[in-house]
Parts: sequence; C-alpha cells; structure tokens
Amino acid sequence: MNWSLESAETAAAPQRGGSEMDEFIRRNVMMVKLEDMVAWGRKNSIWPFNFGLSCCYVEMATAFTSRHDLARFGAEVIRGTPRQADMIVIAGTVFRKMAPVVKQLYDQLLEPKWVISMGSCANSGGMYDIYSVVQGVDKFLPVDVYVSGCPPRPEALLQGLLLLQESIGNQRRPLSWVINEQGIIQREENEVQRVIRGPERIAATELRSPDEV
Amino acid sequence: MRVPSTVSITETLNAPVGLAAVEHLRAVFGDRILHEQRTCDEIPTLWFARESIQQALTLIREQTFAGQRFEMLLDLTAIDERVRVNRAGQPASEFTVVYHLMSFSGNADLRLKVPLFDDDLHLPTATVLWPNANWYEREVWDMFGIRFDGHPNLYRLVLPPTWEGHALRKEHPARATEMEPFTLDDAQTDIEQEALKFKPEEWGMKRASKDSEFMFLNLGPNHPSVHGAFRIAVQLDGEILVDAVPDIGYHHRGAEKMGERQSWHTFIPYTDRIDYLGGVMNNLPYVMAVEKMAGIEVPERVKVIRVMLSEMFRICSHLLFYGTFAQDVGQLSPIFYMFVERERIFNIIESICGARMHPGWFRIGGVAQDLPQGWEVRIRELLDFMPARLDEYDSMVLNNGILKRRTQGVGAYTTQDAFDWGVTGAGLRATGYEWDMRKQRPYSGYENFEFDIPIAANGDCYDRCAVRVEEMRQSLRIIKQCVDNMPSGDYKSSHPLTTPPRKEKTMQDIETLINHFLSVSWGPVIPPNEVSMSIEATKGINSYYLISDGNTTSYRTRIRTPSFAHLQMIPAISRGFMVSDLIAIIASIDFVMADVDR
Repeated sequence: MNWSLESAETAAAPQRGGSEMDEFIRRNVMMVKLEDMVAWGRKNSIWPFNFGLSCCYVEMATAFTSRHDLARFGAEVIRGTPRQADMIVIAGTVFRKMAPVVKQLYDQLLEPKWVISMGSCANSGGMYDIYSVVQGVDKFLPVDVYVSGCPPRPEALLQGLLLLQESIGNQRRPLSWVINEQGIIQREENEVQRVIRGPERIAATELRSPDEV
Repeated sequence: MRVPSTVSITETLNAPVGLAAVEHLRAVFGDRILHEQRTCDEIPTLWFARESIQQALTLIREQTFAGQRFEMLLDLTAIDERVRVNRAGQPASEFTVVYHLMSFSGNADLRLKVPLFDDDLHLPTATVLWPNANWYEREVWDMFGIRFDGHPNLYRLVLPPTWEGHALRKEHPARATEMEPFTLDDAQTDIEQEALKFKPEEWGMKRASKDSEFMFLNLGPNHPSVHGAFRIAVQLDGEILVDAVPDIGYHHRGAEKMGERQSWHTFIPYTDRIDYLGGVMNNLPYVMAVEKMAGIEVPERVKVIRVMLSEMFRICSHLLFYGTFAQDVGQLSPIFYMFVERERIFNIIESICGARMHPGWFRIGGVAQDLPQGWEVRIRELLDFMPARLDEYDSMVLNNGILKRRTQGVGAYTTQDAFDWGVTGAGLRATGYEWDMRKQRPYSGYENFEFDIPIAANGDCYDRCAVRVEEMRQSLRIIKQCVDNMPSGDYKSSHPLTTPPRKEKTMQDIETLINHFLSVSWGPVIPPNEVSMSIEATKGINSYYLISDGNTTSYRTRIRTPSFAHLQMIPAISRGFMVSDLIAIIASIDFVMADVDR
C-alpha cells in the first residue's frame, strides 16, 4: 500500500493530457486491497498494555516521554486493561511468583496480540539465574520480538517496535474467523538481526574513546 | 592470594550510648551474655540465649542509656552458620538470628545475636516490642524456616505460598538451572492463582460488621498506581478504608543468595539493581563495606567522584518520584517535563560511566576508570539549567491547589511512628526529625561538603514530597562543590585487594601477573570478618551486612533496604481514608519493588 502526503504548494502540477477529474481521483482516492489496508492499520496503531515488572519498565516509560516520544509510531496509547490492548511489553524480570499473573494477563489480551520481550531477564533470565526467576518469558508465552540490553535503551525499544510493525505490516490475517486450517497464522522465521546487521557493525573501525566526553 | 588483615579491632565502642547499653546489659545479665563479639564496624555485638533474648530486647526498648534510647529496630535477619569455618570464639550455633538496633538520638548501633540449632528452630517474637519486626520475622521464617513464637501471622512473605523449602538455607539450590525446569500449564496456573487468592479470614478480618458488609478490593500485582509488581488487598466499608494488607514478593530476585555465589567483585552489578532508580549509589554501601573488611583506604578523588555520581542519581530518582507523585494525584504533564532533566543527567552519567541506569561503575578500592576529559562541561550546564526548572515545577506541582488538597493532611504520621515502623530517609525528615546519614555519620567525605538537611513538620504526603524537592536543590549544591573542588590523584587505591588491580601493577613480572590473574579470575580473598555499612540512599537508610569467611565470595550478604520497611507501614497510615487517598499515600512513599523484595 503506497501513499504519501504532499502539501498543496509544492504538489506536482496536473499532468498534461489528464483531465481534472483524473487528478482529483489520484489525489483523494486510494485503491487498495482490504487486507492490505487492515495490515497497515494494525501496524500503525499498536496499543501497548500498561504493564511493567522492573527496571526495564523505567526505560520503557522513558520511551513514552518527550525525548523519545513513542507517539511518533502510534504506540503511545497505554491501556490499563488487557482487553483494550494489542501488545504486551514484558519489561523486566519474570518472577516465579508473578508468572501465573503474567500468563493470565496475556490470556486476557484479545487477538490479534503481540509480545515484545524487553531486556535480558525477560529474554533469558539474564544475569538472574536464581531460584525465583523464570529463565525467559518464552518458557510460557510466545514472543514476537526480543529487545536486548540490561536495561535496553529507549532507542532499542523503539527499534524493537519498528521491527514488530514491519512484521505486522507483512502479515495477512483473515478478516474474520475461519474454520479451515488456513485460519492459523504461521509466523515466518525472521532472520536474526545479528546476522543482518553484522557486516555493518564489523565495518566500524573508528570507535569513540572512553577518555573523552 | 592471602593478605594479612589490616583491620584494627579497637576497644572503643562507637558512641557513649552503645557503651552505656553494653555496661547496663552486662550488669543485668552477667554470665547470661554468652559472648561479646568484635566486628570491624565496631558495633557492639552481644550473644544471648533464646531464653533471655526477650528480656534483653524489652530492656533495650524501655530503658534509656546515657539519657538516650534505641528507638529503631533497623534490621532483623538470620545467618545459616552450618558451613562457616571462621567463627573463633563465637558460641556454637547452626542458625543465628541477628537484631540490629539503632539509636537516633545517641547516634549508635547495637547488635544482638541468638544461637539456634536446626532441630529446634524457634524463638520468641519481637512484634510486641517493635511493630516493624512483623515482616522481618516473616522473611526470616520464609528464608530460613525459623519460627517466631507468638507472631500474629507467620506466613511466607517473599516466596510464593506454594514454595517448598527455605531459600537462604545453604542446602537450597541457588540457580534456577539447578532446579526442575519451569513449566506453567493451565492446571499449574490454576493452583498458583488459587494460592495467591486473598482470604480475609486468614488475616483475622471479618467479612461484615454489625451494620454493613465489607468490600474487598484487590489492587495489583499489576496496577498503574502501585509502581511495580506490588499488591494490596483493601478492606472497604463503603468508600472508607478499614484495613489493607500489602502482599509483596512479586519482585524477589534472590539478591542475597546471589551474594553467596558471585565473587566480591562480580556482585557489584547486582547491587545496582536493588534500588534500580539509585544506580551507582547502590554500589557505595557495598564497596565501602568490602573496603572496610579489606582495610582499603580510597584516595580523595575517588570519594569525590563517588559523591558526585551518587548525588546525580539522587536527583534522577527524586525527579521520577516527583513526576509520578504528581501523576498519581491527577497531574499528567509534569512528568513529561521532568524526564527532560532526567535525560540530561543520564547523558552526563553515560558520558562518564558508559551506561544509563545501571553503570555498576564503582570498584572495590576505587572506580572503574578516571573521569573523561571535559567531564565538567555538561555538569556545569546542568547546574545552570536546573534551578530555574525546579522553581517552575514548584509553581506547577507544589503550589497547585488541587494537589495540596489531595495530599495535605493525608497519610500523616509522627516521628515516633516513623521510629516504630523503621521509617528512614525523607519519610522520617518530613515528620520534623533532622536525621541524615550524610550529616550524622559522614561517609565518603560528606563531612567536607556544605549542604542542609531539609525537614518539614506535618509528616503527610505533601511534606514528604516537599522534602525531596528541597533535597534536589541540596544535591545540586553538593555536585557544584564536587565540580569546583575535584581533587587530582588516583582513581583507584594501591592496596593489593583493589579489584581489578591498577594497570601498572599488573604486567611487570611473574608476581604481578599471577596477582592480577587471580584477582580477575577467582576474585580477591577478603579476610574473615563481619561488617555493616549504611548510607543515606535515595529512599532512606540502605545497609549492607556482609560476612566474610575468608573466601572469594561472601558467606552471607544481608541487604537492609528502606522501601521494605516503608511499605509495611501502609496499613497503619491509610486506615480511615478513601481509596483515592491510598493512591496518594503509596505515591508519596517513593519505593521501588526491587528495593523491597531484593
């Protein structure tokens, strides 16, 4: 689905040979497949559930505030109830005592729903290989995007959100429930970011010295 | 790597009050004092048998010594002594219960210990003397399986009610990967959820009074206003709060058990995540405690760098409190302004430490690296920029009529209540009692700085906020003095136990090579001793009680956090108010759950 906004002043002049009506339609009417339209809408209005576990939630909250402004990506509408949210960010350590609560909250999210696992603890237990911590939220929830860091910077969460948006934008879900097996969305295996970005990262040769500000 | 202990165990006790108390106890108990232990923090440590501990505690609670009292039960914990080697002179014991008492008026500490044996783990409760003993005793029961006779509700506090075993006993596994892999099917979820269900009868609560039926409201463990994974079960008569039962343990990361596994050096990053808004300030009591046992004196420059960064984190933490406090009573915009300053400070911290929230930047005997060139430029910008913004926030938040009406006279308590419940920090100063560790027991060179201790008078929600706002201005004053007077010199001590050792002491010959190799692979061996080190953290007194058994890891790491004590007080100060006031009270306490459950 391709579209763009242009200001009236700088818009290209009507093309020679075309009628005024054609131009009017070109500028105001968008032809699109309904499922593309729905995917586009879903992608750009992911409402997160107001849910936080520990330190990572502070960085997640920072992503909502002025410097980082998650609203630019349509994901700032925090919902206090899972019934109204599309996405849950598991921001922090998943504790054994908290796990059944997390599970219940996830179950209460309405389909379609997505999970971002934010920070090392939620990804794998991180530095807390200890009796009271679940070694990664994916032990009992399906995870769409893993954001690394302890805690990840707000920018890292934004990147995770953009990756999720990209994958949602490419998904074509049925518009209503279907009985046959096609109703099951098979998630594509995404290529690991480390592999995609590896060459670019390795190419960096000039690194900032820690001796200077 | 064995280093002779340089710790001098002096005969002097830390204050006349402590001395008077010990002399009085000697006169009353005589031979019934099993042992007088010397520790390198010079806190008088007396051993009592189970039969006489209640009498001793009652005497300390009720008597005055040199005209002063021991007002507060600062901490109550236990030690599993079964595999400890170095306990020369101490009475035989398998589990030792430790009481840490504090006199504010006399500025002194006193430690009492009770030896117990595994087949007979019980002793009388102290809840009749200090109300805050309640949670501490429940925690000891939860973690060690020691029973307190006469305790009103000795249930598990931190671990889930379905847990088997007691986590801080030495035979309990530390790693999750040593235990059965975690699974959570639907049946298991139902069992766990059923166990978490609040049953009023267990708490001695009635479901109805003579003329009305109570409503029970569950707040949390995930609720926007409880600031983390925290739950309160509220008993309501109409809109009026009859009682509240805080339920914690949803944020227990086993930091104390972690301390028994990580080397002295590699435990530092875990301290950052105790009060996760306090950043490197959490490193401070820990590294100072280890330095005290190791006998390390840090250079002046290190002290000033540590103070400067700690105060920056104090401002960061207070700003977040300020914003969320305003938000919880209905002002949504201030927090968006306040995070601008927070980002500015994080920029500075990142340029110095390389990380934002959890730099883990202090080291045993110093800091990780020297300050970068040009470090002071951004700090001076902040010092110019921030005071005007704080004034603006005063007019936006503190002078706001609605906020005043929502918070003044709500959740008030007296200085005496604060002592009874173990409340320290801004919560204590808001009642009009001027006490700040930085002034009363200066550490890391705080005695060289000029700053005031803000206090208030009413001890209500509004005052707790106002005190913290003024503390930010005082922190700016301290930071300015740090920038103006930063001493030159080393960023690490030359003591052999400094970890990692200074670079010029590493690659010279085989001796320095081996020393360096052992220091970074096994970690330093700290001489056997016990030490307790307290600082004025962002939220109150944060104290590390470390026991070294002459090993590369700590034998027991006890972390006394301010938030734990503060949360326990919620029911006592919120009865008779409405639910909306409860939200204001919770917001005014300024806690983080990692600081409660550790």
